[in-house]
Amino acid sequence: MRNKYLNPYIGGVLLGLVLLAANFVSGRGLGATGALRDTIATGVKAVAPSHYHNAAYYSDNYAMRTERPMNSWLVYQMLGLITGGFLSGIIAGRTKLTTERPSWVSSRRRLFFALAGGILFGYGSQIGRGCTSGSALSGMAVLSFGGFITMMAIFGTAFALAWFFRKNWI
Amino acid sequence: MGPLIVYDAISSNTNLLLAFFIGIGFGFVLEQSGFSSSRKLAGMFYGYDTTVLKVFFTAAIVAMTGLLFFSLFGWMNLDVVYVNPTYLTSAIAGGVIMGAGFILGGFCPGTSFCAAAIGKIDAFVFIGGLFIGIFIFTEGYPLWEGFHNAGFMGSPRVNEMIGLSQGVFAFLLILAAFGMFWAGEWAERKFAGNYR
Amino acid sequence: MSTPPVTHSGTNPVTGNQNINVMQKINPRILLAIILIPMGLIIAMVPEDTTGSRKVSTEQILQEISSGSQFVSPDEVAGMIVENNPVLQLIDVRSSNEFENFSLPGAVNIPLTDILSAEWRDILDQDVRINVFYSNGSVHANEAWLLTRQQGYRNNYVLQGGLNYWMEAIVNPDPPSNLSPDEEFARYDFRRAVNSALGGETVERTVEAPPPPPMPSIRPRERATVVQGGC
Repeated sequence: MRNKYLNPYIGGVLLGLVLLAANFVSGRGLGATGALRDTIATGVKAVAPSHYHNAAYYSDNYAMRTERPMNSWLVYQMLGLITGGFLSGIIAGRTKLTTERPSWVSSRRRLFFALAGGILFGYGSQIGRGCTSGSALSGMAVLSFGGFITMMAIFGTAFALAWFFRKNWI
Repeated sequence: MGPLIVYDAISSNTNLLLAFFIGIGFGFVLEQSGFSSSRKLAGMFYGYDTTVLKVFFTAAIVAMTGLLFFSLFGWMNLDVVYVNPTYLTSAIAGGVIMGAGFILGGFCPGTSFCAAAIGKIDAFVFIGGLFIGIFIFTEGYPLWEGFHNAGFMGSPRVNEMIGLSQGVFAFLLILAAFGMFWAGEWAERKFAGNYR
Repeated sequence: MSTPPVTHSGTNPVTGNQNINVMQKINPRILLAIILIPMGLIIAMVPEDTTGSRKVSTEQILQEISSGSQFVSPDEVAGMIVENNPVLQLIDVRSSNEFENFSLPGAVNIPLTDILSAEWRDILDQDVRINVFYSNGSVHANEAWLLTRQQGYRNNYVLQGGLNYWMEAIVNPDPPSNLSPDEEFARYDFRRAVNSALGGETVERTVEAPPPPPMPSIRPRERATVVQGGC
């Protein structure tokens, strides 16, 4: 059974139950980028405290509200996510330091596009108030109109651009 | 009655502890489903692997159905559950930018952490990119603050927008999801050759 | 002749195997559809939202505003103060400076800016007492009422006309003219009585405010704030 992935429908049901549990326990969905933003706010607070209290974003969203930006639900959830992913990788024998790429794509090229994609995703997630998990998946489960819009925009754009970047993947 | 935190059934520290366990479930299921592989994720957009579609929509309809039944049984007050507010302009613009990031990077934020946890170097780089992107956003916030807050519509639910009850919309979404699953399996057979 | 093989609890091992094979052959997608589609059908047919909202709809608040049911008159409030009615809780929504300078007896100071802070929720969201907001005019008090009403809190009211009208009506009432009906005289007498009970003719209070009535224990209720979430 090593290396074999879970049936996607069973995986989906389990993920749905996790999402249901998050809503039942904490009244909110899952998320990812919020924890990164909290981390950045903490970093800025440590490195440049005056900037942290003056710059509009941090003062509006953090300095006025909370002493410890990292003490947030999403940060603990993300620590769990990393732990859970690692446990699953150990059990399935998939932990390996590697750059995953098709054979004709150089490592450098793959890493360059990963960085570019990360920057876009990070920026877009803040503009759109949530990523695939926080806005699209969690939003859809509670029938949020914004969640559906974001979901369609993410997948629609990715499909529309797929042809231009096909050399990276197929 | 749920959500537990709203009705003081658990303390806020317990809530954070449970967040950690919920996260473990989240990460475990993502990794088990193969979301730690960028090639598997990108397969969605070239048809050779529609795992993303199946897991994503199955999770959404299971959680949605579960919430509606919890509400029906009086176990949970859906009115106090967080519903993402809708800022139409930024929801679309953010989604478009994220979609571009998805096809370039091959991950979304949650899955990149999952992949990094099992040692994918491209995922570490993607996460580095996420930090840069978010940092650009927070530092340049005054530049796009107006845009970020444009098109505010409150927190409408999608069924209200199209004039259906929650239940009817949920039923239609479930049917649509199975339609997409069927199309996905068809695509996997047709485009299997795309994965080399 | 040999004895038939022993079977465990009556099941045929061969058919049992076949059942397992059948289970394995069912596509998880089909299985999921068999479960979820009927559940969706049920959810589509039952009336929605049986738990209901504790929040108040905008329409209902609008109706309350247009009927003015949130206002209580100075006379009613004065009467309750004189009686030392423990149900009355006056809430001064002005700044703490203004509150220090002058306040009605037994009032607590919750400046308008703090009205939604969690600190005061147990006072504002309860079923035991009658909270009466007051400010100089009635605008700020009314805003406080509107904000708390939107949270679904009940038992909050607004002192009609605010302190300005209170001064006019209770502290320095105009004597009614000779042609006034008897009830005008009765009200005037009542107001004079109240005023002397509250400490005399002047605006400045000359006696200590009566000790605040014993607080009935306010039981914190189920809260109904929307959770903050998002990514």
